[in-house]
Amino acid sequence: MPPPPDRNAVFLNIPYDEEFRSLYIAYIVGLCQLDLVPHLASEIPGGDRRLNKIFKLIQSCRYSIHDLSRVEVSVAPTAVPRFNMPLELGMTITWQNLHPSRHTWFVWESEPYRLQRSTSDLNGTDANIHNGKPEDVLSGLRSALGRDRPPPVTQMLKVYGLVDSALNSIFLRNGTSNPYDRSVFLDLCSLSLSLGTFFPPAKPAV
Amino acid sequence: MPKSVYITAPRPTLEEMEKSLHISKARKRALQPLVDELKAKLSHREQEPVTSVETEKRRKRASAA
Repeated sequence: MPPPPDRNAVFLNIPYDEEFRSLYIAYIVGLCQLDLVPHLASEIPGGDRRLNKIFKLIQSCRYSIHDLSRVEVSVAPTAVPRFNMPLELGMTITWQNLHPSRHTWFVWESEPYRLQRSTSDLNGTDANIHNGKPEDVLSGLRSALGRDRPPPVTQMLKVYGLVDSALNSIFLRNGTSNPYDRSVFLDLCSLSLSLGTFFPPAKPAV
Repeated sequence: MPKSVYITAPRPTLEEMEKSLHISKARKRALQPLVDELKAKLSHREQEPVTSVETEKRRKRASAA
């Protein structure tokens, strides 16, 4: 039996493509602003069987977010559908069914009711809808992962805008233009966490 | 699965979060100039409210012009 999960850790199961970049940054900023720790499969170094390491990472996180908004096949003739996200969601559902108190998963989509068509076995699962917009990711995270004294969405948006604007500097620093690269991911997290300290903690609700 | 949860776990400290991500002190040091620069921008922007990402984009376009 693995050790108990980190109660503030969230596994992000997302597509690693250029079009998803702004939403990816919004997920990182939003989670960091909520004092939650994002984790990504790209954190995992190579070596042993990758799937085993991903499963360990899922087990170590109390929550997971599975963004199934990229169900389209691109127009490129060699394009194939990407099955990694549904595969990792399936692993997560199995783990959660075996140990319900250890894990909670959420499904995100960009379009309402599409999940029922793309993954009908998930009927009955209420997906969070982000409409493909970073601001909806931020407000959605704030609603889905509620906790005492959450930051206002305006604050989350300010940090998002700044972190997004710093991406080229982070690329230069790390010698890559891949936003999902491990070093870039860690820089984005570090920046989001540091900028979060700029704001005073929200006052408790009366 | 629920659409939302209420998290009751104690909030981690900044140090605990950085440790969970294995963010090294060297990485933090290297990023500090960028953090300072962005905090200065944030300080300036605190003068006016931000309402949406579109507003941010307009602001970027205006400052680039």
